[in-house]
Amino acid sequence: MNDGTEELDDLREAVRAFLAAKSPETAVRAAMETGPDPAVWDQLARQLQLPALALPADYGGDGFGLTELEVVLEEMGAALLCSPFFGTVVLAAQALLAADDKAACERYLPGIAAGETIAALAVAEGSGSWDLAGIATRAERTADGWALTGKKSFVVDGSSAGLVLVVAQAAAGPALFAVRSGAPGLRAEPMTALDPTRPLAALVFDRVPAELIGAEGEGGQLLDRVLDVACVALAAEQAGGARRCLEMSAEYARTRFQFGRAIGTFQAVKHKCADMLARVELAEAAAREAARLADAGAAGFPVAAATAHICSSQAFMFAAAENIQVHGGIGFTWEHPAHLYFRRAKASQLLLGGPAVYHERLLARLGI
Amino acid sequence: MPDDLSEFARQAREFLDAHATRAEQAEFRWGQGADTVAYFSADPPDVRDVKLRAAKDWQRTRYENGFGWISGPPAYGGQGLTPVHELIYNSIESEYDVPDTGTLSVIGLGMIGPTILAHGQQAIKDSYLPALYRGDIIACQLFSEPGAGSDLAGLQTRAVPDGGEWVLDGQKVWTSIARESQLGMALCRTDVNAPKHKGITAFLVDMTAPGVDVRPLRQMTGGSDFNEVFLTGVRVPDDHRLGEVNAGWRVALTTLMNERATVGGERGGTVAEALTPERLAALMRATGTLDDGALRRDLSVLLADLLAAGHLNRRAARAMRAGVTPGPERSVAKLMHAQNLTRAAHFVSEVLGPRIIADTGEWGTYAWAELLLATPALRILGGTEEVMKNILAERVLKLPKEPGIDSTSPFRELPRAGKAT
Repeated sequence: MNDGTEELDDLREAVRAFLAAKSPETAVRAAMETGPDPAVWDQLARQLQLPALALPADYGGDGFGLTELEVVLEEMGAALLCSPFFGTVVLAAQALLAADDKAACERYLPGIAAGETIAALAVAEGSGSWDLAGIATRAERTADGWALTGKKSFVVDGSSAGLVLVVAQAAAGPALFAVRSGAPGLRAEPMTALDPTRPLAALVFDRVPAELIGAEGEGGQLLDRVLDVACVALAAEQAGGARRCLEMSAEYARTRFQFGRAIGTFQAVKHKCADMLARVELAEAAAREAARLADAGAAGFPVAAATAHICSSQAFMFAAAENIQVHGGIGFTWEHPAHLYFRRAKASQLLLGGPAVYHERLLARLGI
Repeated sequence: MPDDLSEFARQAREFLDAHATRAEQAEFRWGQGADTVAYFSADPPDVRDVKLRAAKDWQRTRYENGFGWISGPPAYGGQGLTPVHELIYNSIESEYDVPDTGTLSVIGLGMIGPTILAHGQQAIKDSYLPALYRGDIIACQLFSEPGAGSDLAGLQTRAVPDGGEWVLDGQKVWTSIARESQLGMALCRTDVNAPKHKGITAFLVDMTAPGVDVRPLRQMTGGSDFNEVFLTGVRVPDDHRLGEVNAGWRVALTTLMNERATVGGERGGTVAEALTPERLAALMRATGTLDDGALRRDLSVLLADLLAAGHLNRRAARAMRAGVTPGPERSVAKLMHAQNLTRAAHFVSEVLGPRIIADTGEWGTYAWAELLLATPALRILGGTEEVMKNILAERVLKLPKEPGIDSTSPFRELPRAGKAT
């Protein structure tokens, strides 16, 4: 760590304190029923300026990097924050930046940085794959620009977004398009989801007017770049969630008594917690290193991003499952928070395609 | 890098440029060079002797130029600097083609030297420390016994006072480097009536003294990296005692703590070279398995853990350089190292199939059997996986200790074996 460690610790503390106050478990459960609380999003934006944190200063951001964003996301993952932050600031904003379209960035990023625009990135379709081969939504030229037709699924914050960025197939190849919610021919359908803390929607496009962002045919490269950043960002959330599961388990192991003693005195429980700790340490190291490499513009970043997503997915799923195990019967109840982390762990593990895909992604980044 | 560290780095490089050549980055080509993948040394005795002599010579050169004991006191030829400086030197030296001084440095210089410095009597420090760090003599650890492995404090080798000397009787095991050593640090029982931790004394033993019998221990891989050391009526002068009588456990902790002071210290060597994405992919390509989906999945799982463990080590090293107390990174890294190498060996077995169970003569195949047979040791030696997990859970996660472990009864009352039914 360099001189910046203290500032990062301060940032982490500030976000943690904010989330403890504004997004405790009761708020998370409420948001699961009625959707993310707009008041929390407003405060996140105005009080802490988090949407602006890692966006370039040229577009209304504060110009920090993935290293800082990673810390924020760890805390958000630990708290299971139910908010459009990931969809807007990570997925949509990164897609805009990756498209390398200055005019589009000037038009949309300031609103995102200010917390005024909620945005979403629509890529996957029926199978949930982020692979271009699975994208059938097409973009056709019209008199005024473009029109999109097709169906997107698993769109993070697809129902609440005011701005939707869509990857669609144009004549010259895949490209990124921007669409406004409420546009004619666009229908958003919330999907019943395993993890209600991350609202997912299906978007049906019937000749919806759209604006081209960047150039036709660049969708492939764009997607690779967005995926690399998304992998690290998601890994950060997953690492934070895994750490919180570990803390829950350790606390329970220290205080739950059976057979006349704390259950943490039994080696089976002790070793389970130690295994969780090992996985959490690996996941944190991988996520933080990937963020560091991104900011350094290092050639090793794509490999590190893929590594981080694998390690964090595994760590979170393992920690969430073992957390329930340590708690025994009570861990299986609706009222106990353990299952909320279990749901988030599974949904996060599969959001970008899941093990079948993320393992090949690492090999591809390694040139194997 | 701060100024004083850059200046030190510059001096280190100046020394190395004057006395060694840069290592050549040989490009890996399947089928070329040795295909050895050995965690333990597989050298025959004559090769081992040549390597040892080269190591001692290099250690002497380092010492004469101030780099033999970078963090040691100037009075003993050191520079009085910090472990961070040692890390920096090691990192720069790894770019050069120099003899591997591990035989001298890991245990003797890294662990026993600092223990002598902390607990040795003055005359002993003066006679042994310069000789150790100059590479003239080598030291080994006489700790574990057949009846005292994970429960080291249960050791039984006796040291009985006689005139101005002590007489040692007992048996030590798993001692690496015993055959090459002139000095051994022995933990002995000096009071059977005290609780086990309170009746131990540490001594420096002359390995060439009468009564010291070193016998190689043959390990699962077929080699003998370790030894049994039988002590029969070995006489040790009282001035060779380290620390106070019956206060040897504290001395042992100094030694063991110094093992932990080396951060991220997995051995490089043929194993590290073989477990890279490039080498493993080359293995799959050569065996026509690169497109096998199941094996690709296993490869990715393995590589992700290997890469992440590397990040963890670097993070611990960075924390150390910044003067921040490392967290559990090192213990976790050791756990993962054992698991990663074990998984790697079994993964390679799957890729090779029967070619790892019998030597077809094909390059880069049966050679992996050596690693396979070595990996069980990694989860045991230097602290078993189970004990390490206990330590992580109790010290880091603050889970309560297991009840019923008796550390207060007199040593002679402790049960030593169960009744067979």
